Amino acid sequence: MTSQLREMTVGTQAGLDTADMVLNIGPQHPSTHGVLRLKLVLDGERVVACEPIVGYMHRGAEKLFEVRDYRQIIVLANRHDWLSAFSNELGVVLAVERLMGLEVPERAIWLRTALAELNRVLNHLMFLGSYPLEIGAITPMFYAFREREVLQAVMEEVSGGRMHFMFNRVGGLKEEVPYGWTGRARAAIDAVRTRMPDLDHLIRCNEIFLARTVGVGVLSAEDAAAFGASGPVARASGLDLDLRRDEPYLAYGELSVPVVTRETGDCHARFEVLLDQVYASLDLAQQCLDRVDRITGPVNVRLPKVVKAPEGHTYAWTENPLGINGYYLVSRGEKTPWRLKLRTASYANVQALSTLLPGCLVPDLIAILGSMFFVVGDIDK
Amino acid sequence: MAVPGEGLAKGLAVTLKTMTRRATTQQYPDVPPELPPRSRGVIALLEENCTVCMLCARECPDWCIYIDSHKEEVVVPGAARPRQRNVLDRFDIDFSLCMYCGICIEVCPFDALHWTPEFEYAEYDLKDLLHDKGRLGEWMETVPPPPAHDPNGEPSKEESTVAKKAGA
Repeated sequence: MTSQLREMTVGTQAGLDTADMVLNIGPQHPSTHGVLRLKLVLDGERVVACEPIVGYMHRGAEKLFEVRDYRQIIVLANRHDWLSAFSNELGVVLAVERLMGLEVPERAIWLRTALAELNRVLNHLMFLGSYPLEIGAITPMFYAFREREVLQAVMEEVSGGRMHFMFNRVGGLKEEVPYGWTGRARAAIDAVRTRMPDLDHLIRCNEIFLARTVGVGVLSAEDAAAFGASGPVARASGLDLDLRRDEPYLAYGELSVPVVTRETGDCHARFEVLLDQVYASLDLAQQCLDRVDRITGPVNVRLPKVVKAPEGHTYAWTENPLGINGYYLVSRGEKTPWRLKLRTASYANVQALSTLLPGCLVPDLIAILGSMFFVVGDIDK
Repeated sequence: MAVPGEGLAKGLAVTLKTMTRRATTQQYPDVPPELPPRSRGVIALLEENCTVCMLCARECPDWCIYIDSHKEEVVVPGAARPRQRNVLDRFDIDFSLCMYCGICIEVCPFDALHWTPEFEYAEYDLKDLLHDKGRLGEWMETVPPPPAHDPNGEPSKEESTVAKKAGA
């Protein structure tokens, strides 16, 4: 404590000289989807500087991978981004399969593609509900969750889980889908597709929503590329990059993947990319299911009880719902990896906040933060 | 240029349309949810099938299965010498640690562990989530039959076993 008392004036137009205020948003703040902390320097209502401080949810996933066999890794990989569990599993098994030189049965490939797209819809619906909620519109949440419930029932029937599916295995899928599942999945997709316009009409062109989001938090394509942003966030800035089209994995090479992009790069563009991606993903999932119905055969490869990846290293990347996730796998021929490095989409996307936020007003802060579409578990791992 | 307020009106139209529909609410405690047979609710133990091979306890990613056993001699009539048999003393699963991945069930070579969709076992105290073999055995009667597989794929383990037995 200093013995001298000091007078400080804080606030807008309170005097000629205003001192900058340092404000912490988080680590426990309802609009940060977890424990992200933003250290803001404010000049009145205006943000001067922003530093995202990450790590509050670090669970040491990468270190834990090193002492888990490949099936146990799937359990953990499921959980760092809890909204895209299936896509996370997929990245891990793709890396292991590539290192082992495994050929995955065709039926498994198409089923995986269908499930990955359904997972993408589930993820996007979550953000389509929560983003309007953060800026004051509660209702879209109910519409989004109604659709999520329908799709989760489909996922639960096939995998037994609603969030942590645990359905991928090295060499394919855990087991065959139940009798009549593809029909029920198709019915669920149709139901969601016919009801999506509700959510769309409710919020996309709502004047209040437009006033809060149009022209707010503009991320240029250069900045997006410089920060390594990917996924819907980058595509809203006009960065036309989608691994499903540009470096196809699974069955994406045989599908024509529509890449949804926008040019403006503001909050509304990011929201629209997500919304239009849902329609595109529902179509893709439907096409995959049609193919699944025409392919017969096993959904996995018979492997020895102990799966060992041969010595070597590989890098697999996938277009996860939130952006590009990369998996750098180094194996020394053990049943556990020597190192499995994750490159997660949320981590890169959140870095852009440090250039996106300075200059904006505090009320816009939440609008921008919510539109960056991240999961804190995916940032901190 | 759009008419001012058009977006709001469109949204209200959706609200009006939804107002005329029935609510999607499920009356949960009164009407139990219909869960698919693969649903991962709780793990049931069929004690007779367990040979204390410890595979489940070893493969569990967070080691939440505790097993104790002792050996017993069984005299088989007609056999030259008595056989040794493992007897299960303790089989506990700590559901406060369990991550519901199902690896234990997958690795069990004798089908002693099964998933059941039951989920109503919340407790006021964390330590009460440790289910002993008696409690795990009680779950057995709630285990649903596994669903039939899609005819395009391979038949399930259960189906092929039955077919093999019928053929033999």
